[in-house]
Amino acid sequence: MKLPPLLLLLLLIALVAAAPGQAAPAIVRGPYLQSATPTSMVIRWRTDTTEASVVSYGTVRNQLTSVVKAEGISSEHIVYLGGLKPDTPYFYSVGSAPLAVAGKGKAGAEDAPGRPSTYAFTTPPVAGPAKPTRIWVLGDPGTKNDVQRAVRDVYQKFTGKRATDLWLMLGDNAYPDGTDTDYQKAVFEMYPETLRTSPLWPALGNHDGKSANSVTQSGVYYDIFTLPTRGEAGGLMSGTEAYYAFDYANIHFVCLDSNDSDRSPNGAMMQWLKADLAATSREWIIAFFHHPTYSKGTHDSDKDSDSGARMNDMRAVFLPVLEQGGVDLVLTGHSHVYERSWFIDGHYGKSDTFSAAAHTKQPGNGRADGDGVYRKRRGRVPNAGEVSVVTGSAGHASAKPVPLNHPVFVVALNEAGSSVVDVDGLQLNLTFLNDQGEKRDWFSIVKE
Amino acid sequence: MRRRLLLTLLLAGSAGLRAHPEIEVALQRLNAGIAAAPTDAALYLERGKLYARHDEATAAEANYLLAAELAPNLPGLARARGALALATGQPAEALELLNRAVLRDPIDATARVFRGRVHAALHDPRAAVADFDAAIQLVPLTSPELILERAALLPAPEALRSLDAAIERLGPAIALQLHALALEESLGRTDAALVRLDRIATQSERRESWLKRRGDLLLRAGRIAESRAAYASALAAVASLPAWLRDSPESVRLTAELTLLSQKNS
Repeated sequence: MKLPPLLLLLLLIALVAAAPGQAAPAIVRGPYLQSATPTSMVIRWRTDTTEASVVSYGTVRNQLTSVVKAEGISSEHIVYLGGLKPDTPYFYSVGSAPLAVAGKGKAGAEDAPGRPSTYAFTTPPVAGPAKPTRIWVLGDPGTKNDVQRAVRDVYQKFTGKRATDLWLMLGDNAYPDGTDTDYQKAVFEMYPETLRTSPLWPALGNHDGKSANSVTQSGVYYDIFTLPTRGEAGGLMSGTEAYYAFDYANIHFVCLDSNDSDRSPNGAMMQWLKADLAATSREWIIAFFHHPTYSKGTHDSDKDSDSGARMNDMRAVFLPVLEQGGVDLVLTGHSHVYERSWFIDGHYGKSDTFSAAAHTKQPGNGRADGDGVYRKRRGRVPNAGEVSVVTGSAGHASAKPVPLNHPVFVVALNEAGSSVVDVDGLQLNLTFLNDQGEKRDWFSIVKE
Repeated sequence: MRRRLLLTLLLAGSAGLRAHPEIEVALQRLNAGIAAAPTDAALYLERGKLYARHDEATAAEANYLLAAELAPNLPGLARARGALALATGQPAEALELLNRAVLRDPIDATARVFRGRVHAALHDPRAAVADFDAAIQLVPLTSPELILERAALLPAPEALRSLDAAIERLGPAIALQLHALALEESLGRTDAALVRLDRIATQSERRESWLKRRGDLLLRAGRIAESRAAYASALAAVASLPAWLRDSPESVRLTAELTLLSQKNS
């Protein structure tokens, strides 16, 4: 049998395309955005085989004329883009060749079927001037289950076309052990769309800590994330990825390691925190870490036996320094509930020492449509009041009844959900969305 | 022996752990695993670690012992037992176990850190420093905590050299710089301390508190005119802040304090 030349050519092309080892590497993780600054972005991704780490980018979708290539070849790609313009949308693609769309179960882009090969991000604005900022806050999300998906979907519906400028994970990002496989399922396959468009800033939780070590800066958490150790994203140099700071517009963020770093009053983390708080000129200070300063949810902050006294340490040792340094909002997880405090200052003891008269700076629920927003003097005013929020139910709420009776809280809910923080100039709003799409709490702080 | 251990395990079941639903789930998962595979030493090790993380030393040790009985050379077991012995104030026993862990895996940086701490507890700073050095060499990025822990074992001049080496390697992490500054002051080396202070100040967006500290340092050293100049610089730094920061109570308080210090020493 003699085949026509055209058919022969087509067969040959098909054979070459199907030949093992000839296919372009498939992305099995990411891309995801890290350590965003007004002029730089770290882009990471993983491929199923090794190849060069190349990012093509530009400010026009079809003109990715700038190219950065990292040294060597790898399956774990980390590319630093520098010299970017602040507050500017960029388009980018990754890989040294046109990339295959990973099959189901590989990239597993649950919220983005048919992944495009060109993605987009916007660089943070120059630190200092205000810019409306949306922050998505996920505490203890990593269950990999339907509740985590529902919480994610509710937020995506809520935010719609409004971009998420950055997102925080408050620890226990990947259950049960924070292994690479856990992270793959609970983070990378759960939030692919958000990961490639919005920089993620994580904190270390106790479950992440099972596969990571803060003292030696080793293990899965430290391998997966690229976080600022040299103060390159704002704030002072911590020298470690375990705790760090960054700025976004008029907000200064402080991430602490409540799980594995030295929590003593004279330890390195405390020395850094004090100096960092004294050094910032941002309008707002938001602190986030895993172990809550107060909780009566799935953990009890009154019991020192609970979580190795970490909650006590964060309340008795770190909270006084944060409040003295002018913190406005403290975001934590660990307890799989939502608990939101009054507008407080100076409560560092157990729950039975809380006195509304002594420890609230302003009564009420902080709502414009309720008792009125919380008001705070503009400027760095020590101990002027803060709101502590435990938002540790992005993966699950407690299956059993929990006390939820800590007197420091004005709202306490045993419901799955996540929090959304919007900062616009001198106003900060926080909304808690449950997994049914209901706004279950909200409050505002206004500086004047 | 084994029967006694199992009994211990049963008795050691912690009410504390059972109080926390999340831990209860992890414990149930391990208990189920052990019920299905009662000779799987790794599960006892994991359960021991769970107890250890929650300060349940007796239950942790019982699980470790059972794991050791089933698989004496189980990876990670000697390190876990050594860490527990250290945490429960048994450094001699910890040393024996951690020697075993390091022998088994010489590139286990965490085991080296634990053994360094054991040596320090046994008042053998040189051996501790050697282990910390080995750990530092084994990992790409060391935490400031480990550098400070190592420096604390050394005489001040040697500690300063080690901090400078770390700063060169990691960058000028604030905790390292502050410790070096304190050491310079303790050695009465004011000029060297000032150099370090200036270096810290240049890293900081707001310099007024560092300039005040410079003035304080000079004042303590009896260098009055220079201290006045530092306080004046601090006042100028406050004055250069944006109005909303300059007029805030903290800045007003600092301005008053700096003015008073300048006047007192004029």
